[in-house]
Amino acid sequence: MIDDELKVTTRQRDGIWIIDLEGDVTTFAEEAITGAYEGVSKDGAKYIIINSRQSDYINSAGIAILIGVVTEVNRQAQKLAISGLSPHFQKIFRMVGLAQYADIFATEEEAIAAMQRHQKAASEPTKQ
Amino acid sequence: MSNPQYMAPSGDEERVIELHLPSRLGYEKVAMDTASAMAKRMGFSHDRVDSLRTAVSEAVTNAIEHGNQHDSAMKVVVVFTGSDDGLIVDVADQGRKILDQTITERTPDIHQVLHSDDKGGWGIWLIKELMDEVQFSVAPSGGNKLRMVIHLDR
Repeated sequence: MIDDELKVTTRQRDGIWIIDLEGDVTTFAEEAITGAYEGVSKDGAKYIIINSRQSDYINSAGIAILIGVVTEVNRQAQKLAISGLSPHFQKIFRMVGLAQYADIFATEEEAIAAMQRHQKAASEPTKQ
Repeated sequence: MSNPQYMAPSGDEERVIELHLPSRLGYEKVAMDTASAMAKRMGFSHDRVDSLRTAVSEAVTNAIEHGNQHDSAMKVVVVFTGSDDGLIVDVADQGRKILDQTITERTPDIHQVLHSDDKGGWGIWLIKELMDEVQFSVAPSGGNKLRMVIHLDR
């Protein structure tokens, strides 16, 4: 009767991988989110944005899944940003402490701009 | 209602809503939507309604997963009682597993969680952070009961 459906898709913009989430981010989302993250990592992603689109239900199990992604992002020395969250979920993510490990932006465009700044900084030669 | 603990103050029966939900994940959304509709009617701000939605979903999910161990024959009873001061939400399970009280006191730390295999444990902490009052007790059914209160700002 009540299905928890999440649609997860991936795309690339200027060397930045975007994982779009559309729907509920709950315990049922683990395989889809983890699978998408592993997929883009396998394709060499260094800069990743998890972009929430119309996900108005994210619970603690969903947060745990995203913390799992953060753990891997740290291990792989990737850069992660999260965008598209409602103000409420931006607040929750900051309360949990996720903002210490992933920059949080209201929109995808802001996240892209920040990632491009990171890319540019990483590509500039280190000053002696 | 047969349970005297759930009796509303005299004359306020119209402000009480009681749900009996199967212990199957997904049904917490029925409780969330009911909480949301009631809180909006009572005049809570959008931000407070969102907090209530998250707290109710976490409480009902805990009751389904832990209290009733996903046994869909067991019910989660959610009672919403509105008053002039705010909204009381009681969430009771049938207690296949009794809540470890130490969990109710725990404050998860993301730095530790990142290095742990278990990334969860945020639900009860979130409820306590988002609601004005939270109490844990034994339900009349013998299961766990969580009462949360959210006050109207006046």
